[in-house]
Amino acid sequence: MNRTFTPYFLILPSFLLAAAVILWPLGEIASLATHDVNRFGILKEFTGLDSFRTLFADPDFFSALWRTLLWTVAVVLGTLSISVPIALILNEDFYGKGLARILIMLPWAVSLTMTAIIWRWALNGESGMLNSALRGLGLLDQNVQWLAQAATAFPVQILIGILVSIPFTVTIFLGGLSSVPEDLYEAAATEGAGSWDCFTRITLPLMRPFLNIAFVLNTIYVFNSFPIIWATTQGGPANSTDILVTYLYRLAFRIGRLGEAAAVSLIMFAILLAFTILYVQLAMREEKA
Amino acid sequence: MIARGKLIRSLLLWLLLSPVIVAILFPFAVMTITALKSAAEVHDPTWWPHEWRWVNFIEMWDSSGFGPAAANSLYVSGMTTLVTLVVSIPAAYALSRFQFAGRGAFRQFLLVSQMLSPIVLVIGLFRLIASVGLIDNLNVLMLVYVAFNIAFCVWMLQSYFSTIPRDLEEAAWMEGAGRGRTLLSVFLPLAAPAMVVTAIFTFINAWNEFVIALTMLRREENYTLPIRVFSLVAGRYTVEWHYVMAAAFVASVPVAIVFAWLQRYLVRGLALGAVK
Repeated sequence: MNRTFTPYFLILPSFLLAAAVILWPLGEIASLATHDVNRFGILKEFTGLDSFRTLFADPDFFSALWRTLLWTVAVVLGTLSISVPIALILNEDFYGKGLARILIMLPWAVSLTMTAIIWRWALNGESGMLNSALRGLGLLDQNVQWLAQAATAFPVQILIGILVSIPFTVTIFLGGLSSVPEDLYEAAATEGAGSWDCFTRITLPLMRPFLNIAFVLNTIYVFNSFPIIWATTQGGPANSTDILVTYLYRLAFRIGRLGEAAAVSLIMFAILLAFTILYVQLAMREEKA
Repeated sequence: MIARGKLIRSLLLWLLLSPVIVAILFPFAVMTITALKSAAEVHDPTWWPHEWRWVNFIEMWDSSGFGPAAANSLYVSGMTTLVTLVVSIPAAYALSRFQFAGRGAFRQFLLVSQMLSPIVLVIGLFRLIASVGLIDNLNVLMLVYVAFNIAFCVWMLQSYFSTIPRDLEEAAWMEGAGRGRTLLSVFLPLAAPAMVVTAIFTFINAWNEFVIALTMLRREENYTLPIRVFSLVAGRYTVEWHYVMAAAFVASVPVAIVFAWLQRYLVRGLALGAVK
């Protein structure tokens, strides 16, 4: 085999498969968004940006967009700020550390769909065990209909989102902490640095790349996260917990407005692209500085 | 004295962790207890059922079509893992051992494909697959899963491969082993830890995937586990929660146990692969 062709030959299968499943549908979506389509998906005449215009006239779209922003920021920041102390604790030497690690990692192994279904049952107004637990502890006087009203449903969904994002984030941080050399702390201790100084001057700077990775990956995952909201409320009651992905799914597969759903897909793609480019720019500037 | 200090510190750290651990274990407790309640008691939010109905599991298995769904999930996840590794290992090897025009472009392509999630593409995928008449086909579902896992696997594998010293391979060439032979008997055994980590990741991703399966699978006999369990809840007037929870239990607990056993490899593997 000719040496110059070997690498191309080696990357070809993965490239073809990923391109077919990722780039091709993207083209399909672009043509759906710019044509008149009936609900069975038959393309009619070219309509340019009409689907976007219809979408922008829909107040539900903007509230879903706004809620997606809120959802992503709240879940990602919540996850990062809880995961740092957890990772620091799990990096210490203490009795039962192995068990603690397993318990913290546990939600990762269970599918988001199952987790969401279990929570839906646990949050049930009359029969749910969360109400009975909170009443037993004296924290509630009467049952709360957690998922039946937007004021409680969305915050609860954010908390579930944080809970299931912790294992992955802690894993990345633990990997980061294990790469910090012990002798740095010893040197700092002999110089008389306290543990807070060690944390802000040694741990945090060295953890920076891992924090960055966790921030970017979590943002992408959470922005795209579908099962938690779909399996608990399907975006209801009255669209009050809709984020872009659930809005998109309902438009496409429940209402059958494929053109507008495709337009939502393209807008989501543009947001993700802008986020990634912005991040790469910032990361590169930081590297140079 | 020293041991005593450690004991106190351990108690303190467990105390700090306890709110999160309680929140994590709460749904598991709800699932397990509900799965063992009788139909009459399931709507009372009691923590200690009057009667532990183990027979729920058998009734659930018979009535919910759990067995075929588990078989489908095992097939799709197993095949996804296998095929993903088979196409990712050569690509990762090429990225870590060859300099070639388009190398940077390929890495960029992987980054973009990592960014695009199934949900953004689901309409396009559905049209594409429907147009060739392959909706409701488990092998097609498997190929879609493979495509979405390639980026992460190639990324992880190539950063691990780059840490394997070339000298070892060169030494094997000197002794007359061919490139292919070296690959099989020197390189791949050294890369085994990274392959285990990516395999676990891929398997869990496929096992838990929801939105594509929900869209592509139409007939009940093709359902994977998440869709099967979801269908026991969605759009029904009366949900038999004790069976739903029994199904969720059987679907999650074995995977969770295997995962608990393997999780230390994950931390080690991600430490090597994540930042590169």
